[in-house]
Amino acid sequence: MSEGAHGKYLPTATSLRPEPAQDDDIALLKAVATRDEAALGRIYDRYRVILFGVLMRILNDRAEAEDVLQETFLQVWRRAADFDEKRGRPFTWLVTLARSRGIDRLRTLASRERVAQAGAKENPKEEISDAATDAVRSEQRGVVNKALAQLPEEQKRPLMLAYFDGLTQSEIAAHLGAPLGTVKTRMRAGMTKMRELLSGREEYFGY
Amino acid sequence: MAHEDYKSMIPAHALSALDAEESRAMNQHLSQCAECRDELADWESTAAALALTSDPVEPSPQVRDRIMSAIRDDKSSEKVVQFPSRRNVWSSFGSLGAIAAAVLFVALIVWIVVLWQQNRALRHEIAQSAEFVKLLTTPGTKTTELAGTTHASGATARLAYDKTGHAMLMASGLPPAPQGKEYQLWYIVGSKAPMPGKSFAPDETGEGTLTDQVPPDAMDSAVFAITLEPAGGMPAPTGEIYLRSGL
Repeated sequence: MSEGAHGKYLPTATSLRPEPAQDDDIALLKAVATRDEAALGRIYDRYRVILFGVLMRILNDRAEAEDVLQETFLQVWRRAADFDEKRGRPFTWLVTLARSRGIDRLRTLASRERVAQAGAKENPKEEISDAATDAVRSEQRGVVNKALAQLPEEQKRPLMLAYFDGLTQSEIAAHLGAPLGTVKTRMRAGMTKMRELLSGREEYFGY
Repeated sequence: MAHEDYKSMIPAHALSALDAEESRAMNQHLSQCAECRDELADWESTAAALALTSDPVEPSPQVRDRIMSAIRDDKSSEKVVQFPSRRNVWSSFGSLGAIAAAVLFVALIVWIVVLWQQNRALRHEIAQSAEFVKLLTTPGTKTTELAGTTHASGATARLAYDKTGHAMLMASGLPPAPQGKEYQLWYIVGSKAPMPGKSFAPDETGEGTLTDQVPPDAMDSAVFAITLEPAGGMPAPTGEIYLRSGL
C-alpha cells in the first residue's frame, strides 16, 4: 500500500518526456475549427515538411505533390471540427488525411500503369529539409526507420507497397507474385511487429 | 463474417489495403462495432508512423500563400451559404404541412370512430325501444310502474312482461352507479326471500334498460325492486332500494 502511495510521487515516464507539442496541436486544430486562419498557418508551418515528404514519396512529382498539399490543408480547414482527440493524435489525423489524398491523386493519375511501376520509386532525390519548425525531429524518424529495419523484407515490402503506392492486398499479391493468403499473413505480421516495436514510444513519432 | 475475422483484417484496413468488397464489408461492420473502431484508431496510429520513413522535403513558399488565400475565399463563400436557401424555407413549410396533414388525418379518424359509436348506441337504443313497444302491444302483457325511493327520488321505471315471462325494464333518472356497482332487479313474492333478477348500469343520462325472464312464481303477484349491488349482481339483496313497485 505505502509503496503504491510512494510511487505516486516518483517521476513517471510521462513527466520525463520532452515537452509534448501534441497538446499545442490539439489546441491549434480546435482554433482552426472556429475559423482561426492564423491557427491554420501555424499547423501548416509545423507539418508542411513531413506531409510534403509523404506526398513526394507517393507522387514523385513536385507540382502534383504541392497541389495535393494545398488540397489537404483546405480539407483541414473545412474538417478540423471532425478531429477527435480521443480517437488519435493530430499527427495521425493530418498524416492520414494527406496520405489518403495523395493515394487518390496517384490512382487518378496512373490507374493503369500503377501496378507495373509500384515499388520502382524510392525517396525522391530532393534537398532534404532541416527546418527547425518541423513537427517531426530526425530522432523520431530514426526510431521508426530502425523499427522498420527489424522487419524481414517479406513483411516490409507489403507495408510499403500499401502505404506509399496505395496497392490493395490483391494488387500486392499480383505485383510480388505471391499467393493472396501469404500477403495477408505477412502484412498482418509486419503491422503487428511495428506496433510492438513502437509501443510505448509514441512520443517519438506521435507529434 | 464473424467479429474475429473483421478484427484480424483491421491492420490491413488501416493501410487501406483491403480489396473493394472486403473494405465495404469492413466499413459496414465498423459502423456497428465500437470495439473494432477503437482497434482501428490504434492501428491507424501505427500506419501513420510509416510516414516517417519518407524523407522530409520542403514545399515551395508559394504553397502557403495559395492555401491562405484559398481559405479566405472559402470563408467568404461560407457566409453566403449560411443564409437559409429558398429550398430550405420551402422544405420547412413542407414539413409543417406534413405535420398539419397528419394532425387533420388523426382528427378525422377520431371523429369517424365517435360517429360510429354514437350511431351504434343509437341503433341499439332504437332496437330496444322497438322491442319494448312490441312487448307493450302484445296481448296479455302486463306493465308495472316503479317509483324512486328516497335514494333516487327523481327516478322512475316501467317493467313490462308477457305471458311467457319475457320482461323488459326501462328506467330513467337513476344516479350513476359507482365504480364496481350495478343496479339489480328483484322479484319479491309475499314474505319469501327476494328472487334475483339481472343487473344493469345506467348511461350518463341516468337511463338504463334490462331484458330478463320473470320467475314463474312471480308472474301473478309480485313486488319489483331495484337495489344497488356489486357489479354482476348478488343472490340476495345487500344494498339500498332505489326503485320499487307498489308504492
